[in-house]
Amino acid sequence: MRLDLSVTRIYALGLRHYFLTFRHLERFADLFIFPIVGLLLWGFLANYVQVQSQTLASFFLGGMILWIIFERVGTSVGIDFMYELWDRNLVNVLATPLTTIEFIGGLVLVSIVKVFVSLFAMVVIALFYYHFSIFSLGVSLVLFWINLVIFAVTLGTFSIGVISRWGHSVGPLTWVLPFAIQPFAAVFYPVSILPSFFQKIVWFLPLAHVFEGMRYTISTKMFSFDHFFAALGLNIIYFALSISFFTFMFKRSKKSGTLAKL
Amino acid sequence: MIKNTPVLEVSNLVKKFGGFTAVDNLSFSVDEGQVLGFLGPNGAGKSTTINCLLGVVEKDSGEIKMFGKDLASHRVEVMGKVNYCSAEYILPYSLTLYENLLVYAHYYEVKNAKNRVLEVLDDLEMTDLKSARIRSLSLGQRARANFAKALINKPKLLLLDEPMASMDPDVVDKGIKLIKKIQKEEKMTILYTSHNMWEIEQVADDVVFVNHGKIIAQGTPLELTRQELKFEAKEPNLREVFIELSRRQMVEEENGGLST
Repeated sequence: MRLDLSVTRIYALGLRHYFLTFRHLERFADLFIFPIVGLLLWGFLANYVQVQSQTLASFFLGGMILWIIFERVGTSVGIDFMYELWDRNLVNVLATPLTTIEFIGGLVLVSIVKVFVSLFAMVVIALFYYHFSIFSLGVSLVLFWINLVIFAVTLGTFSIGVISRWGHSVGPLTWVLPFAIQPFAAVFYPVSILPSFFQKIVWFLPLAHVFEGMRYTISTKMFSFDHFFAALGLNIIYFALSISFFTFMFKRSKKSGTLAKL
Repeated sequence: MIKNTPVLEVSNLVKKFGGFTAVDNLSFSVDEGQVLGFLGPNGAGKSTTINCLLGVVEKDSGEIKMFGKDLASHRVEVMGKVNYCSAEYILPYSLTLYENLLVYAHYYEVKNAKNRVLEVLDDLEMTDLKSARIRSLSLGQRARANFAKALINKPKLLLLDEPMASMDPDVVDKGIKLIKKIQKEEKMTILYTSHNMWEIEQVADDVVFVNHGKIIAQGTPLELTRQELKFEAKEPNLREVFIELSRRQMVEEENGGLST
């Protein structure tokens, strides 16, 4: 089997979303306004709690910045796919030489680029206004980032699989899913705060390991390889499952004719 | 006699949706430079066939070859030489005409994409609409914008699925003149479906009539008119042929079976 990959075709998808971002206020808001508003909210809270504990304030700000990385990538993959449906453009796109791998890969790349843009704005605000540098996490930041992005892509791909099979009506899943996970991801509080029943389950979420790992690094200035590898292992399993699910659903959608009607 | 090369060959194509057979062992071919009218009543299987040709609907069985190559195994290579236009799908509303065409030029890996976009806009006399967003265009202009997208990669095979549905006669007339001009200049192969028989009479060299996913008649527009209406017509009259074939089929069904 030959793997067809074209940088030009992926660039076309990027170009489409670049134009879209500057034509839709909500896309622009997604990029800058929502992440900044989120950071301001949690930043004020961090300012309030830092009277008691500087570490707790760092937990909040670090948690918020890392959460936004996850949430932006996770929702962006699905929402950018939904734009092709809302624009009645999916058949036009799928009728080009663009392959499914390029299509999904392109959506992922677009969301990663967007998260870097959002991140830049957030890092600057956090640094100058709250005197919190996410880079104080050092190399571990990159390792947290890798796990967050893999899980976000996993969730995004799962959402696209569901949408391509059942259409617009399940579209909200793409932005509901990350928020449905948030209470169990231990973003702003340790896993030990959760009821004991949930404490056992949440360790199956890579996010719980990432945020626990982040808190460990902030508190001890050391990196928890246990949490990192646990998150990575889970991510590999979920990513494989998500890709298989998407492939199965996309194929079924082509078979049933749903894809052409989306 | 020199045999023309088929650009599109469909052999024994079958597509079922549950218990409903949308395309039933359909076979036809379109030669290089030929315009084939692909006609049939609503639900006859035309759009399903085109969706199979585009690869957005998966066929159950049969073979689709474009430029002599199997579509399934050479999709990327083949689709680079094909384009598609349907009034059902409109280019993204919020982008300008230029932006949309530039995006599609890159999807098709067109060399000198920016120049090609300007060239297509000029060919279709749409340069003044370059910066207009699709949502601000009239229905007729949107149809032309779709057509501009369909020409962006200088396709060798163009699949037109009711490209001018819901357009007023003036827009249709201009559209047909444009299609004829470009088809002649580029020697493009076209598969054209429409419910407007006048459109088909104007552009099609040959016509295939399908119903219930099967071919029920084929020939040139004039041949079909003579054959199905049983008189020595001087001009094609596909409208009457369409009505005759559809009603005949209905009567045959009522009498207990389909004849092919």
